[in-house]
Amino acid sequence: MTSAVIIVLREVLEAVLIICMLLASSRALGLRFRWLPPALLAGLAGAFIYAVFLEDISQAFEGFGQEIVNAVLLLLITLLLLAHNILAMREFKAPQIARLPTLSLLILSATIAMAIVREGSEIYLYVYSYGVVAGDITSVLSGGAIGAGIGFSLGTFIYFGLRTLSARHCLLFSCIMALVIGAGMSSQAALFLAQADLLSASEPLWDTSALIAESSLPGELLQAVIGYEASPIATQVGMFAGALMLSVAAMGIGIFSVRNLASNPEAIRTQRSNE
Amino acid sequence: MAPSKHIPGNYGRKLKWRMRHLTAAALCCVAMSAQAQTPVFEIEIREHLFYPSELKIPAGQKVKLIIHNRDATPEEFESYELNREKVIIGNTQGIVFIGPLKAGEYPFFGEFNPKTAQGKVIVE
Repeated sequence: MTSAVIIVLREVLEAVLIICMLLASSRALGLRFRWLPPALLAGLAGAFIYAVFLEDISQAFEGFGQEIVNAVLLLLITLLLLAHNILAMREFKAPQIARLPTLSLLILSATIAMAIVREGSEIYLYVYSYGVVAGDITSVLSGGAIGAGIGFSLGTFIYFGLRTLSARHCLLFSCIMALVIGAGMSSQAALFLAQADLLSASEPLWDTSALIAESSLPGELLQAVIGYEASPIATQVGMFAGALMLSVAAMGIGIFSVRNLASNPEAIRTQRSNE
Repeated sequence: MAPSKHIPGNYGRKLKWRMRHLTAAALCCVAMSAQAQTPVFEIEIREHLFYPSELKIPAGQKVKLIIHNRDATPEEFESYELNREKVIIGNTQGIVFIGPLKAGEYPFFGEFNPKTAQGKVIVE
């Protein structure tokens, strides 16, 4: 049962972090949560499809379909988080006058759905084959429920933590979280590409496993937040730094795109009358 | 547009088409020769155990690892030290490239059966 707890918690952690961070910034962006159930459903459906077709997907691309799909999902989430940062910074700079509700809904829903696809498929596969097929359903399900419970409590804690902040500070904090999570994910994408030999790998640049082991609790948490890797290869470090810079640039673009609106009451009035 | 490539007398296009295929073939050869130099190692998963559970590979070199899952259940080959994770569905096999690595021991495990499915790669 303990292994079920750990397996499910590990998978849930990353998705929960993203979901709660985006829920907090969705609230600060003035969106209602009606978009959430469809996004969750789409994610779960995607996870189910990915798990069911995993055998075919794995055999595709000369046996590296899994790595390619994972890398693509991770890179897409990174891009969507960049887009989130543009939107959040627009709202930060010009509160309530430069909102793009439809676009925001689409971006937030897509990010959450994709985060669920990747992690959900592994949970489904585990629960189905070890719980349903192998007949160990009680321990797998109860362990899984505990793991998911711990993950969701952590998520609730983060969400309400972010909610205690003012809308603008919440947006800023979400942006910083998105920036770090995105960088971690693109570094993980590089790893998948190296695993499939699509990116050439070098020897790891350094090894900090004696300091913080990846298998330890702080290691796992850091892995979920910043994509912590004790012994990264150069490509990972490059991807991480690149994504960080792009994310900061996205925040700059967000602020720049509303610079006139924020200081120009006339523009605000036009914008409002258009709504 | 595609069929026009083969119209007799359309020399420019025909040449281009041939060149493209030649380049593709050449690229394949290069890829295959690069492949041939990569040492291949195989391990098996049976009854949620790895065979062999210790694998010796050369240091400083990329290695192709083929993992055969002989069980009916899926397993996730996972290693924090090797920075690898891959789900291998029951009764299939999966390929994972590892390295280049410094000499040392790199434990791996099956995420779905972490208590039994354990092994390590010894790089020397």
